[in-house]
Amino acid sequence: MSQRKSDVTNRKRRRFLQAGAAATAAFAVAPGAFNREARAAGALENVHNDAAAAAKKLAGGRPVTLKILEPSGSLGNVKPVAERFTAATGINVEFIEVPLGEINQKVLLEAVSKSGAFDIALPATFGIPDLVEAGILVNLDQYAQKYEPAGFGDDSLYATGDFYKGSRYGYQTDGDTYLAFYRKDWLADKEENKRFSDKHGRPLAVPETWEEFDALLAHFHRPDQGKFGGALFRTQYFIAWEFWSRYHAKGFYPFDGDLNPQINNEAGIKALEELVAASKHLYPGARTNGLFENFEAYGQGDKFANVGWGGTQKYLNGPKSKVAGKLAFGPLPGGKVNNKLLKTPYFNWGWNYVVTTTSKEPEIAYLFTLYATSPVLSTIAVRDAGGYFDPFREAHYKDPEIIKVYTPEFLKAHHASLKDSIPDLYLKGQGEYFDELRVNLTAADVGKKTPKQALDDTAAAWQRITRRLGKRSQVVQWQFLKSIYPDDVRTALV
Amino acid sequence: MSTIYPESLMPELAPPESRPPRLPLGIALILPAQLTLLLVVLAPTLIILWLCVTDWQPTSGTAWHAAEYIGFYNFQDLFYDRRFTDALLRTILVVLVCVGLEFLIALGLALLFLDDWPWRRLAIGVLILPMMVIPVDAANAFFMLFNDHGPVNHVITIVLGRPFTYAWLADPDWALVPIVLAEVWQWTPLMFLLVLAGLTNLPRNQVRAAVSLGASPARILFRIMLPLAAPVLILALLIRGIETFKIFDSIYILTRGGPGAATESLSIFMYNGAFVYFRIGYIAAAALLVLVAVILFCIPLDRLRRRHGG
Repeated sequence: MSQRKSDVTNRKRRRFLQAGAAATAAFAVAPGAFNREARAAGALENVHNDAAAAAKKLAGGRPVTLKILEPSGSLGNVKPVAERFTAATGINVEFIEVPLGEINQKVLLEAVSKSGAFDIALPATFGIPDLVEAGILVNLDQYAQKYEPAGFGDDSLYATGDFYKGSRYGYQTDGDTYLAFYRKDWLADKEENKRFSDKHGRPLAVPETWEEFDALLAHFHRPDQGKFGGALFRTQYFIAWEFWSRYHAKGFYPFDGDLNPQINNEAGIKALEELVAASKHLYPGARTNGLFENFEAYGQGDKFANVGWGGTQKYLNGPKSKVAGKLAFGPLPGGKVNNKLLKTPYFNWGWNYVVTTTSKEPEIAYLFTLYATSPVLSTIAVRDAGGYFDPFREAHYKDPEIIKVYTPEFLKAHHASLKDSIPDLYLKGQGEYFDELRVNLTAADVGKKTPKQALDDTAAAWQRITRRLGKRSQVVQWQFLKSIYPDDVRTALV
Repeated sequence: MSTIYPESLMPELAPPESRPPRLPLGIALILPAQLTLLLVVLAPTLIILWLCVTDWQPTSGTAWHAAEYIGFYNFQDLFYDRRFTDALLRTILVVLVCVGLEFLIALGLALLFLDDWPWRRLAIGVLILPMMVIPVDAANAFFMLFNDHGPVNHVITIVLGRPFTYAWLADPDWALVPIVLAEVWQWTPLMFLLVLAGLTNLPRNQVRAAVSLGASPARILFRIMLPLAAPVLILALLIRGIETFKIFDSIYILTRGGPGAATESLSIFMYNGAFVYFRIGYIAAAALLVLVAVILFCIPLDRLRRRHGG
């Protein structure tokens, strides 16, 4: 499918989601109360001003304080926005930082404790279904109908995770698509090219498939010379994402239409075997290093490839990195399905502004999220070189400061990957499904289980989880999730 | 001798006042304590028994008492849950290894400290320092020791004369070793204090008699001292066994149960189930099974202790 056609279908998809949300909300609000279309023209540039004015009016001079639960490390993105919001509205904004791997759990705990400790949170997008089912997220349809100007999400490249069961629950504020990083200078090396070409019959190049990727890792892996094939993650929290991409690239959904796991089919076993084999060509810290250690390790300049996000590039393009200006980028590799290249770029993390049901000021909190994700303010947030938020609106890719932080080459690959990304597993119980997968993948990676055993165990555990969570409703959501995979991927997957 | 008055001459007595029946003093004294005990032990136990047969998740929005009854499904599910059974077996292994090592080291140290020698008190003070360290800090220290670029690999590098960078915590066969070492390092001092107390308070006459009869030190230890100190030693083993069964901090800090689930203990399993996925019903069933297992484990030890006059 051409890029242009893909753009169109993505937009159609987003419009479908938003239309669905709007239709749902239309039943909940008084007819004629709002004139959304009338505000559409020209409202997009001023949405932040409108949101701030509405918030100020709602506060009515009362001393209102909004509390935001945010993952540690994102303050650089959120604070400049909050300061502007406070200046425009007089509404105070406070921050509560939690470790980035624990934020979804903290929001879930709030569903139990109902302490009202925070009004807004920035959970990872993949956790939204569980948070919705726990009743902690405000359904934003009504507010969106009231305040969101038409076309607000049109230049947003990935909004799939904002919706659950047809309703809006959040605003994506971070374009966290998974990307591959390569050493451009190593690929251009003539001697290396000859060596590789002699063996594989093709020159060194940014790989299109995981098989080509693995061949490059093997080629450059020379630990005796202090060079390593890659810095890919093999730590438990991260390992499943690479497998997810490798598996989809083989042409299969993880479940069949009735939510029976098919991850343990031949393609799954092959994908896992390849992942395990690739581990031999990684640096020694691959199984122990977390996110920031990974940035630092790859930034040392002795590894050929890596996978990561925009945040990875922010570090690698920064002063501590030895590889700035020496990198080539691409969406994650794909696979050959029926002799055709299948690319399955993957949106696998990303922070999402949500409003909690325990907030005493949900409407003002909503207006803050609208303000923060507006074209103008989200651009300011993404500019922060130390924070997590990555571009997610078309406008971000044209901002000179953002281009400087990420480099034009990276942004090109990022844009291509984000707009066609497959969604994460937005099902109730996502954490449990992925936990079982992670544990078993790690067991296979360290040789404690064969790939088949690991995937059979995962499938059995998934069956139990599905049965417990209620198969019927899970199947409905799964069917919906399948329907919003990018068109070209959807037609190729079985 | 009794005097009988005609009824007419009897003084008119007022009917007895209706007083509330009084509790016997003994019951009145123990009742508050019993009621408190009932509240803090029985009530939660009954709630757990109920939760075991439900699939209650606090995040589902249903109150615990209104949770759906699912019979013994949780127990059946646990039976097929390899992570649970593996965690149970792994925890038992850790208890046996840790408590065994702690006991042997503590016994050896206690024998050294039985006699008085200069600086003995100071040495005891230094020895028991590890158990005063916050467990999370102790685990953190071992995390750094066994890091790829940590001191352990550095020492091995010096010994071998070539670079040695081994990811101990990422190897499922070795990851338990730093955990066991951290646990033994921190809690041997407690075992040492208990064993030392037991051995110090032994009646001296029998030992003196054995010495005068020419018994070897090993014979005195195994035939006299240990049997006499058995009640205290068994109690020490029981206390440390129960404590180690709950091992959490060191695993959480060092490996979080990984790689895979290679170091997942029961506490970690339950923490994840209850506080990450909020499967309270399921974890209540697991906790009940574990409680029964611990009781079954402790009963023979307690009998042994009683047999030795404890």
